[in-house]
Amino acid sequence: MNLEPVARPKTAEPWARTTARAKMLQIVGSIVPIAISLYAWLIAGVDPIVVVLLILLPTLLISIGTVGFVLKGKRGIPDAALIVMTFYLGTFVMVLLISVIWALTEAGFRALSPHFIYQNNTYVTPTDGLEFGGVGHAIIGTLLVVGLSTIITVPLGLATGIYLTETRSNGRGFVRVILQAMAGLPSVVAGLFIYSVFIVTGISQYAGWLGSLALVPLMLPTISRVTEEALKLVPQELRNGALGLGASSWKAFFQVTLPAAKSGVVTAILLGVARVVGETAPLLLTVFPIAGTNLNLLSGGMATLPTYIYRFVALGFDTSVARAWGAALVLMIVVGLLFGLARYISRPKSLKKKKVKR
Amino acid sequence: MSETLPKAPVRRALRVKPATTEDKIFFGVSAAAGYSSLVLIVLILIFLGLQAWPTFAQQGIAEFVFGTGWSNAEEQYSIGPMLWGSLLIATLGVILAVPMAISIAYFIEFMATPRLKRTATLFIDLLAAIPSVILGLWGLEVFSYVGADWGRMLNETLGFLPIFSNVAESFLRTPFIAGVVIAVMIVPIISSVTREIFSQVDDDLIKASIALGGNRESTFRKVILPVSASGITGGVLLGLGRALGETVAIFFVLNLVFDSYNWFNILEPGGGAIASLILGQFGEATASEVSALLAAGVILFLLTLVINSIAAFIVSRAQPWNNR
Repeated sequence: MNLEPVARPKTAEPWARTTARAKMLQIVGSIVPIAISLYAWLIAGVDPIVVVLLILLPTLLISIGTVGFVLKGKRGIPDAALIVMTFYLGTFVMVLLISVIWALTEAGFRALSPHFIYQNNTYVTPTDGLEFGGVGHAIIGTLLVVGLSTIITVPLGLATGIYLTETRSNGRGFVRVILQAMAGLPSVVAGLFIYSVFIVTGISQYAGWLGSLALVPLMLPTISRVTEEALKLVPQELRNGALGLGASSWKAFFQVTLPAAKSGVVTAILLGVARVVGETAPLLLTVFPIAGTNLNLLSGGMATLPTYIYRFVALGFDTSVARAWGAALVLMIVVGLLFGLARYISRPKSLKKKKVKR
Repeated sequence: MSETLPKAPVRRALRVKPATTEDKIFFGVSAAAGYSSLVLIVLILIFLGLQAWPTFAQQGIAEFVFGTGWSNAEEQYSIGPMLWGSLLIATLGVILAVPMAISIAYFIEFMATPRLKRTATLFIDLLAAIPSVILGLWGLEVFSYVGADWGRMLNETLGFLPIFSNVAESFLRTPFIAGVVIAVMIVPIISSVTREIFSQVDDDLIKASIALGGNRESTFRKVILPVSASGITGGVLLGLGRALGETVAIFFVLNLVFDSYNWFNILEPGGGAIASLILGQFGEATASEVSALLAAGVILFLLTLVINSIAAFIVSRAQPWNNR
């Protein structure tokens, strides 16, 4: 007699199996309410927000609830409610996001043109149309201010990452909490800090390098946390091997650990830059936005993309707001490029992310 | 007899100490950098505090924090309505954002196929990446009008509740609109923390719950939520901290009112936010007003620091795997 247990694939999940009938019911159950809502909106002419709140949600709950009841009995009803709410709220966020992106592209591309990218604003008044003038000076200013800030912050963030992963010091938990708390530092406070240290005391006038300094505390937490994550992914055996072959700690780090974590560190820098490139308030308090191009970080005003947007929105004319949308699109493209690059570089590692087994 | 037995060697803790000078420098520099964040926070507090001191000394801290009015002529500055407005808007934003954020996290972790999971994560990361000045511009030019319509509808249907009352006949520039813009801003923060926590809920617990006859909903309510409650709380507090510190977006969409409290009429066009006050008044500020604005900065900083530290502590306790 053969008593061998039947081989069962490890991933078998009998409760998750669906039949064709269940699938049909689910599809019908979700299409009917949407059809009713579309009818109410497009043909009966009910206000969209009323449709979404008072027609779509209740009919969805009822129909999916019925499907759940038919398929699984009484236990199916709360399940249906959970699934409906999840999709409903998730879709709501998606709609908001799409609305932002849509407005940005639609209004932004109307302002965008080659000269908008490279010209500056020297002879432009707020009521001028978009025939001339642009954000060239603001792009240069953003590059300079954020560039200097990156040069200051990267060594600091990298060293903090080293402290959090390569040492066994007892203060690490505390430093982590401080960094996390600092990630929530209001950006306007960072600007006020630099203002009170350098401008109130008369050490310096408004200048680009003060803006760079004001961005440091905002960029530091991102860079050090992501660097820490990257360094953590380096297998301990590599470090032990290097130390076992007689390397000193700093050699082991710079010749073995850091090269192994290179892509993660680059990602950290890119994410840090993307975090601060859109910061407005600290730059408004430390750098005076001007209409012309200025390449000198040490003196004089300097326009940056976020402050350019702020200024032209605050002016309030239709033409100036149109310019602000153009600048906003440019800024979003810069941020998008940074994020895309960061995702691309860190892709193989993030796909391998696995659950911690306890 | 006992002397002849060889003594077992004392177990030593295995510890690598920096031996060479280079290593001492290496570890010294990294420790210094580690604590530089702490130094930075202390420095911020000291410098802002020093400049703000004249205001505190002249008016008294209680009068400055809880009083009303902001007048250059009388050199009398109080941030009471602004502080309350910040809390009101942040609370509103959090209340709106939490269900959305948890839904998204639940969808990504427990419902989506791997492919859909990646797409949804990309979308949330994209939302997190939008600079607040752009969200503010969207709030001012696009959402204000939609939000005003929503506000009018709320007022017409539920206007008998004091919280939805409106006497100004205008629904633009209200705390309600600011709250929704803030909610859009903090959904990604809360949902990314929640997702991290959800992804670490033990799979065996979930399977055990299903084996015992639990369904999706009871598993979520009785297993997943209790296990991850503290982590979600931390994420929510992080979102709250971000909401309190938000400057430009609120400045664009809110009408700042200095001389009276708007306690809870979220549909009235008038409210406050400390960070926006600082931005709004900074341009033409007199010397004594600058001191008052720096004092407002100190209060804002302390408030967010306390909330964020508590949040960070809770999150780090809820994620022991991050502290190895």
